[in-house]
Amino acid sequence: MPNPSVNPLILAQGLTRIYPLGSTEVVGVENIDLRIDAGELVVLKGNSGSGKSTLLALLGGLDLPTGGALRVAGQDLQKATPKELNEYRRKVVGMIFQTFNLLPTLTVMENACLPALLAGRPYEEVEKKALEWLGWLHLTSRLSHYPGQLSGGEMQRTAIVRALINEPAIILADEPTGNLDSRNGQAVIELLAELNRRFGRTVILATHSTLADHCATLFLCLRDGRITEARGCDA
Amino acid sequence: MRRLIFFLRLLNRFSVRNLRTRPWHVLAVVFGIALGAAVFTSVRLAVDASMDSFTRTMDLLSGEADFTVVRSGGRLSEDLAARLWSHPAVETASPIITSYVTVSGREDEPFLMIGLDPILDYPLRSWQIAPSSGDVSRIWLRIVTSPKTLLLSPRLARQLGLFPGHEVTLEHVNQVSRFQVAGVLEDQGLSLVEGGYVAIADLSTMQEFTGLQGWVDRIDLRLRPGATRKDIEDLRTLMPPGVRLEAPTEARESGRIMIQAYQLNLSMLSFVSLFVGMFLVYSLVSLNAASRRRELAILRSIGASSRMIFALVLSEGLILGLVGWLMAIPIGSLLVTYLVRGVSSTVNNLFVRVRVETLILDPWEILLSFAVTVLVAFIASSRPAFLATRIAPRESLMMHAAAAGATRHPYPWPLFGLVLIGLSWPLAKLPGLPGFPAAGYVAILFLVLGFSLLCTPVLRWIGTSFPPLLRRLAGEPAFLAARYVRDAGNRTAISVGALVTAMALFVALVIMVHSFRHTVSLWVYQTLAGDFFLRPKMAGINLYQDPLPPKAVEALQQVEGVDLMPYRHFELRHGKVPFEFEAVPFDLLLQHARFLLLHGNMDEIRPALIKGDGVLVSQVFMNQTGLGVGHRFKVELGPVSLDLPILGVFRDYRTRGGIVYADFRRFQELTGDLEWSGVRFFFREPPQDLKQATDRLRAQLLKGLAAEHPVEMISGAALRKEIMDIFDQTFAVTTVLLLIALTVAGLGITTTLTVLVLERIRQLNTLAAVGAGSGQIRAMIFWEALLMVITGEAVGLLCGFLMAHLLIDVINLQSFGWTFLYVVDWKALLVSLPLILATALVAALPAVRLVLKSSPAMVLKEH
Repeated sequence: MPNPSVNPLILAQGLTRIYPLGSTEVVGVENIDLRIDAGELVVLKGNSGSGKSTLLALLGGLDLPTGGALRVAGQDLQKATPKELNEYRRKVVGMIFQTFNLLPTLTVMENACLPALLAGRPYEEVEKKALEWLGWLHLTSRLSHYPGQLSGGEMQRTAIVRALINEPAIILADEPTGNLDSRNGQAVIELLAELNRRFGRTVILATHSTLADHCATLFLCLRDGRITEARGCDA
Repeated sequence: MRRLIFFLRLLNRFSVRNLRTRPWHVLAVVFGIALGAAVFTSVRLAVDASMDSFTRTMDLLSGEADFTVVRSGGRLSEDLAARLWSHPAVETASPIITSYVTVSGREDEPFLMIGLDPILDYPLRSWQIAPSSGDVSRIWLRIVTSPKTLLLSPRLARQLGLFPGHEVTLEHVNQVSRFQVAGVLEDQGLSLVEGGYVAIADLSTMQEFTGLQGWVDRIDLRLRPGATRKDIEDLRTLMPPGVRLEAPTEARESGRIMIQAYQLNLSMLSFVSLFVGMFLVYSLVSLNAASRRRELAILRSIGASSRMIFALVLSEGLILGLVGWLMAIPIGSLLVTYLVRGVSSTVNNLFVRVRVETLILDPWEILLSFAVTVLVAFIASSRPAFLATRIAPRESLMMHAAAAGATRHPYPWPLFGLVLIGLSWPLAKLPGLPGFPAAGYVAILFLVLGFSLLCTPVLRWIGTSFPPLLRRLAGEPAFLAARYVRDAGNRTAISVGALVTAMALFVALVIMVHSFRHTVSLWVYQTLAGDFFLRPKMAGINLYQDPLPPKAVEALQQVEGVDLMPYRHFELRHGKVPFEFEAVPFDLLLQHARFLLLHGNMDEIRPALIKGDGVLVSQVFMNQTGLGVGHRFKVELGPVSLDLPILGVFRDYRTRGGIVYADFRRFQELTGDLEWSGVRFFFREPPQDLKQATDRLRAQLLKGLAAEHPVEMISGAALRKEIMDIFDQTFAVTTVLLLIALTVAGLGITTTLTVLVLERIRQLNTLAAVGAGSGQIRAMIFWEALLMVITGEAVGLLCGFLMAHLLIDVINLQSFGWTFLYVVDWKALLVSLPLILATALVAALPAVRLVLKSSPAMVLKEH
C-alpha cells in the first residue's frame, strides 16, 4: 500500500526505460538515480527528447521501467500489479497535461469530480470538495461549461482541480504552460507553487520555460535520457 | 494521363497503404459488402433460372404459332382443326394435347407428354430424332403409324434408364398403359421443354391414352404471309361459343408476371444486406479520414486541391466496394446453389411449374450487381469525402489532430425524419405497377430513413436525461458512456441507423410472417375443411382438365358412413387474369367450413348461396379484376355462359390467381355438366380416432376404386400440414436473407465501436491516467454499445411495427392481391430482442480489446 508520508517520497536507482522500435531501441531514460523528499517543488528541464515525459510517465505509474528500481511513497512501482498501479494513480499522484486532456463531453464540474467518482467516493462528498477547489481557482461561474467553451487558462485550472480531487501527495505536471499565453502560464505556475507552499504537495514539473525557476527547490536537467545536473535551490 | 498516374500513385501510398494497417477492420467491411453483393446477385440469378426455365418451356411449346385456339375450362373438338386448316389464311393448324404423366412404380417427378400430329406440327415446332436411335425415317414412321410408341428427350431417357426398343408403363388420370420407346430426341427444340424432361407421341396415341378420342387441348395456328386483320377477324367468326383465338404468349405472360413480382420482392429484400453494408463502408472511410486529419491538412497545405482530397477519400470507398464485389463472386457461387433449389421450389409450389436444370450466368445480372455495389460504396464514401475537403490547411500546424467533434447539424435532420415518416403512409397508398408495389417500397425507404434520422435526437435524449440515473445504478462508466453517446452525433447515429434498418426489417418480417401464417392457418383449418380428399392423379399439375371417370364416381357413391362433397373445378381466365372456378354444394360445405369474409355477411347471403343465386369470390380475384360485391360474375364455360351476382368476398391464399365459388347443383343445372373433378369426404359421425378412420377409408378406396383409376388421396390433416409446410418452406429463403442482413448490421456495430475507440484513444488513456481501472474502461465501452443497441432496437421496433402494416396492407396487396390479419408474435419478439442485444454486445468485444492494447503513457506530450 502506498504511504505518502515516507521519506524520501521518491527514490529511483538506476532507473531505465528503453523502447523497442522495430529492430532498434530508443532510450527514454537510462540509469537515473533520484531522491525527492516530500514537499519539494522539482523542475525538470531539458530539450525535446531528453526524457522528461518518460520520467514523468514512470513516476505517474503510466509506464513501467525496463531496468533499475523505483519506489514512490513506499510503493515499488516496478513490481506493482495493474490493480496496484491503478490504486497508485488514484491516490498518490495527480497529473496535469500540456494539452489539458479534459473530456469534451463533461462539464467543468464533471471533469473535476471524475477521478474521485472513478475511485468510488460518494457523489455528494466529491461535489462538495470540487466546489471548494473550483472556488479557490475562480471557476465557480464556469461549473456547467464544457471544455469547448473555456479559455486555455480555465481549462488548465479545471485540469488542476481534477488532479487535486483525490488529495494526492504528488502533482506531476508535463509542460503545463506549453499551450498557454504568458499571463495564463504565469498564473498556473503560481498556483502550482501555492499548492506546494500552502498545501504541502510535492510538485514535479517538466517545462522548457523559466517561469517556475524562482519557486523550485530542486532542478533536474536531463539530456539524452540521463540526469546531467541536479541542484537544490532555496525557493 | 500523367495526372491520373500521379493520382493513382498517391492513392496507393496514402490510402491503400493505410488500409493495410487495419487488416481486420478492412476485412470486416469488405466481407460485409461481399455478403450483401453475393446475396443480391445470387437471389436474382436464382429467380432468373426459374424464369428462364418457365419462359423457355412456354416459348418452345408455342413454337412459331401466330395464334392458339383454346376453350375456357374445356377441350376442343378435333374437327375444328380441319375447319381452320381449310381457311385460306391458315398455313397450318396443329392440334395438341399435353398432359403430365408418371412412370408406374417409380417415385420420379411427373414429366410432360405432348401429343401432336407430326406433319401438321412440323412448321410450328422443332424436334429431331437423334441418329443414334437408329434409322430416323423408320422411327418417324413408327411414331405416326404404331400406337403406344413415343420419343423421349435425352435427359428423360437417361433418368429413366430407357433406350430405343425398351418398354415403359405410364400412368395418367384415366389409364395405365404400356408404351414402347421408339427413339430418343436430339437435345434441341422441343426436347428442352420442362428442363429437358419431355416425351412426344402421335396425337392419336395420346388421345387413346388419355381417353380423349376426338378431342384436343388446343389448336396452334400459323398464318400465311400476308394474312390481314380481316382474315383474323374472319377466323374468330369460326370459333364456336366459348372458344377463343388468342396470342400464344398470353399464358406465358401471366406466369412471367407472377415470377417477376416474386423476383422484384425478393430483390428488394436481398438489397437490404447491401444497404446495411453501406454503413460499414461509411464507418471505415470516416475513420480513415478522421484519424488522418492532420495528414490531409498537410496535403492541403502543400498544394493538394479540395477536389483531389475528395477524389482520394472517395476512391478509398470505391476500392472497398470493388474488393467486396470481387469477394462476392465465390460467396455468391456457393449461395446461389442453395438459393436455386429453394427459389425454384417456391416458384413451383406457388406460381407456375418450373424445372431448373441449368443456371445461366446472365452478364447483365453480373453487371447490375457490380453497378449496385459500386453505387452503394460511392454513396457511403461521399459524405466523409466531402467532410475531408473541409479540413483547413492550418490544421497541419497543430500538435495533435483536432478532434473531428460531434457535428452540430446545420440542417434539422430530425424534422426531416418526421416528415419522411409522415409521408410514408399516403405515399404507400399510391397505385403500384402491375405486381410491383413501387410506391410501397419507396414508402418503406422513407420510413426507414425517417426513423434513422431520429436516432440522433433519441441518443441525445438518452445522453441528457439518463446519466444521473445510470450513475446511481451502474457507476461512473455508465455515466460517461451516456455522455459520450449524447455528443457523438453522426458517428454513432449512422451505425445505429444501420441497426434500425436491420431491426425494423426483422420485426416487420416476424410480424408479417406470423400474421400470414396465422391467417393461412385459419384459412386452411376453416375454409379447407374436410376429413379426406380425393381427386384424379396429377389433377393439380394437369390443371383439373380430366374429371373422375363415371365408374369412379359410381364407386365413390357406394362408400358408407361419409358425406360426399363433390366439386367441379376449372382453371379459367378473366381477360388476362388467371383464376380458378369451383362449383361446390354450398349446403354441405357451409355446414363444415367457414369462409373468412372481408365483404358480405354470411348469415344474410347463405340462403342465396345455397340456392345458387350468387357466387363468392376471393380477395385476390377482386383485387385483380376489380369485381366485388355488387358486381356480376360472368364466364363462358364451353357453350354455356354463367352470369351470377357476387355476394361476398373472402380471404383465400392459393397463389395461382383468385378463386370463385358457385353452387354445385346450380352449376349442373345451368351447364348440364355432371362430372366430378374431385371429392371431399366428411365423416357423418366424428370418429374417436380420426387417423384410424381415414386410414380405413383410404384402404377401402384403394381396394375398390384406385385399382382401376389412378387417383390421389390425402387426409384432411395431412393436406393442411402439407400446405403449412409449403408456407414455412417459402419463408425459409426470406429468413436466410434476413439473418444475413442482421449479420451485416452486427458487423456495422463492431466497426463503429472500433472507430469510436480509435478516435478517442487519447481520451480513454486519459481516463486510465486519472485512475480509471481497465474494468471501468471496458464497462464504459460496453455501456456505449448497450445504449446504441438499445436505441437501435427501440427505434427499430417502432419502425418495424409500422413497416409490418405497409408490408401487409400495401406490399402484399399490390404484389399478390391479398392481405391478412395483423397479429404480433410477442413470444418470438421477446425472445429475439435480448438475443440481438447479446449479439451486439459480443460485437463490442473487438473494440474493448483495442482500447486496452495501448499504453496510458501516450497521453504525455512526447509519446
